[in-house]
Amino acid sequence: MDELKIKQGLKDFFCNNLGIEADQLEYDTPLFSDGIGLDSIDSLEIISYVDGEYGVSMTGVGKDHFYNIDAIAAYIVANS
Amino acid sequence: MINDEKRCVITGLGMLCAIGNSVDECWKNAVEGKSGIEHTTAVDTKDCYADYAGEVKCPDLDTPENAGVDRVTKLCIRATEEAMRDAGLKGFNGDGKAAVIMGSCVGGAVSIDSYYKDGKKDKNTVLQMPISSIASQVARKVGAGGVVTNVANACAAGTISIAYAVDIIRAGKADVVIAGGSDAFSSVPYAGFISLHALSDKPCSPFNHSVGLNLGEGSAALVVESMAHAKARGAHIYCEVLGSGITSDAHHITAPRPDGEGQMKAISRAMAAAGISESDINYVNAHGTGTAKNDQAEFLSLHTIFDDKNPDLSVSSTKSMTGHCLGAAGAIEAVFAVKALTENIVPPTVGYTPEDIEALKEKAGKIDFTPNAARKKQLSAVMSNSFAFGGNNASIIFGEKTKEVKKVGAKDVHITGIGAVTPLGNGVDKYVEVAKADGRVTADTLRSAISTADYDALGLKMAFYRKLDRFSQLQSVSGMQALADGGYTVTDDNAFDIGIIVGTSTGAVDPACDFEVMLAERGNAFGSAFKFPNTVYNAAGGYLSICSGVKGYNVTVTNGVQSGIFALGYAVEVIRNGDAAAMLACGTDASSDVMDELVEKVELKADKIVKPYKGKDKKFTLSDGSVTLLVESGNSAKTRGAKKYCKVSGFGSATHGVSLDTIDGSGEALDRAISIALKDAGLTANDIDGIIGFGNGHVEIDKTEIESYKRVFGARLEAVPVISVKERLGEGRAASAALSAAHGALILSGKIETEKSAYKIGKKTEKTEVKCGALTKLLVTSYGLGGGYSAVVLEKE
Repeated sequence: MDELKIKQGLKDFFCNNLGIEADQLEYDTPLFSDGIGLDSIDSLEIISYVDGEYGVSMTGVGKDHFYNIDAIAAYIVANS
Repeated sequence: MINDEKRCVITGLGMLCAIGNSVDECWKNAVEGKSGIEHTTAVDTKDCYADYAGEVKCPDLDTPENAGVDRVTKLCIRATEEAMRDAGLKGFNGDGKAAVIMGSCVGGAVSIDSYYKDGKKDKNTVLQMPISSIASQVARKVGAGGVVTNVANACAAGTISIAYAVDIIRAGKADVVIAGGSDAFSSVPYAGFISLHALSDKPCSPFNHSVGLNLGEGSAALVVESMAHAKARGAHIYCEVLGSGITSDAHHITAPRPDGEGQMKAISRAMAAAGISESDINYVNAHGTGTAKNDQAEFLSLHTIFDDKNPDLSVSSTKSMTGHCLGAAGAIEAVFAVKALTENIVPPTVGYTPEDIEALKEKAGKIDFTPNAARKKQLSAVMSNSFAFGGNNASIIFGEKTKEVKKVGAKDVHITGIGAVTPLGNGVDKYVEVAKADGRVTADTLRSAISTADYDALGLKMAFYRKLDRFSQLQSVSGMQALADGGYTVTDDNAFDIGIIVGTSTGAVDPACDFEVMLAERGNAFGSAFKFPNTVYNAAGGYLSICSGVKGYNVTVTNGVQSGIFALGYAVEVIRNGDAAAMLACGTDASSDVMDELVEKVELKADKIVKPYKGKDKKFTLSDGSVTLLVESGNSAKTRGAKKYCKVSGFGSATHGVSLDTIDGSGEALDRAISIALKDAGLTANDIDGIIGFGNGHVEIDKTEIESYKRVFGARLEAVPVISVKERLGEGRAASAALSAAHGALILSGKIETEKSAYKIGKKTEKTEVKCGALTKLLVTSYGLGGGYSAVVLEKE
């Protein structure tokens, strides 16, 4: 699986579906910090997207794996 | 001693929900602990992890006469008819002091469902979608001629409706109010709560397993009237409404504050308004949804407030039997609270195993959460609490006798700040510039726009504004602009002294439609948790609370275009009541491609620019926007050294029910709304020297307005110019109504010196130019389809 493609897919998802401005989001930008400000509702959307797109369940997965796009992509690669 | 005009009594009850189709049936089942929660049959549950719901099973709900009426209104009319019978009322025959205030969360969501899923893309289905259609149809049915509005504060709406009913009776604006709430179970809320993972996959278990809620549906109506009115007609009195408290969390759009601050403040405000203490409350009908976040916050609030002060408090969640009926919940639970009080029985919270009861002991402490079995107990004061999406908290107390509580209300209320988001630009300075240049919208500039620069100027960060849909974007920006323009800084010290009233005509109808389209494509299991919160009308007021830090009174009202000045009148009354020192009064409606389609379906959207008072057209130019007025008491303005645009001295609202797509035949109600507003201001029609009108080019709307002015002002009308903001900006609905008041404030403060968008009404209606310096007392009017009107009087400082 192409990890870079996964990262780009995640970024597109965040920008198109969670209202994040592309120029403020890099793959290593912390997602649940003040800058991007994701919260519990957004994590439900991420889980739903990852499950639907890659068949990987992130339900109940620890916060560290949601830290940034890099971390989510790494989890997808490791678990698919 | 408090006089009988100020004492508000409950004289009639009506309800239907999952556990019965009448008050008697619901109450009997509640006392016996019978749950109505079962596997749903009303919505598609494919791939959904939870399928329990509390549905109404009423075989005679649908009749040939009510064909085409949305289920939410059918439920509401049935509850209303029972309450009217119970109160010994036959109908109001147009009585101007008979009002209808109905709460709802999702309004005509069943019609939204059938528009997209069943292809019922007809005019009537569209007219049934907005929440405003509920009270309008109920009022027409019972002949109420006074205030008719809907409270759209999601799960707190039913409670706020009753609280507001009491306020308008005490303000002398109504003698009798049908207050309550209604919501029908449908795909949008079901799939929305699925997406939030907030539903329980078993019958819900509030204060127990707390793993999620079950949705319910139903309606309840309460007849609230002044003691004087009730005595005069020899009515049976259940109890009195002692007091209420309303606050907002300024925290999160769906989750309650974990520290319970807003909930506790609502409860303590209700007790203060009632003049009673913690030990006087015998029973609390809790919000008790059964979600982890709700139950944790509510445990904390109840323990913090009552533990040391009330050794014998009973609490229960009747949602364990009815499910969460959203906008009807507060009304249904108010009926249960009133029945508990009058029958001296506490209904139970059901669903506890012996092990659960053992586990409850630790969580409950001294409080009796009434597991499984009702408890007989002498009750003299009961409380019902509702805590909603958007962070809205409401608490209301019913009891045996109202105490006189001295509240320091404001005598004079002033406009001290203006925020304006319009299709021709944003901010009050930009608006003044447009007005001075006599700017006009074109067919290509009918929608307002928010840019990053607008957010930056107000200090709003991407982490906040990324969540907003258009409706909330427009509202957040105009609200923050009004605070900035007024130089009002919200601090920890004043956050509870300032509140918000949002008025909107169609609110979240189009985001709900977008959500429905998503469900039609993907199925109910795959709704968006990100988008769902924007399908509730009070999201915009909730977001404004979050970004501004405003924690006081917070209500979203919807009764058509007039909502924009109705919100202003409502805000003024909150300040006069002493429930806030300052308020943000907002009028907001957003356009979208979906909204364009819907307004086209009801044959009202013009495909060209239509000018007011010209016309032969039966359509108007649809635009949008958001206007917020910062209003505050004279004392508050003086203490802050605030600039004052003008004084708001009178407010009136009246209704003459006609069908939902017109105001034709209802004009006498505009006469009455004006007359009430003038009386409220201590003025007569002779004192008014200018009108900001509501004509939008639709010939019936314009004609109804002008004919009313002719009756009210007689021959003098020729000397009273009618100024139009819609000539410049189109029919922006609630935004235009609020803008009319803002425009009046700008004229009276000298910011706008000459007005070219004005008409002289003589034998003919002619354009005129007005030198504004001579104007000192302005009337501002607006309408709602279905025959409702509001009027406000503004005076020069």
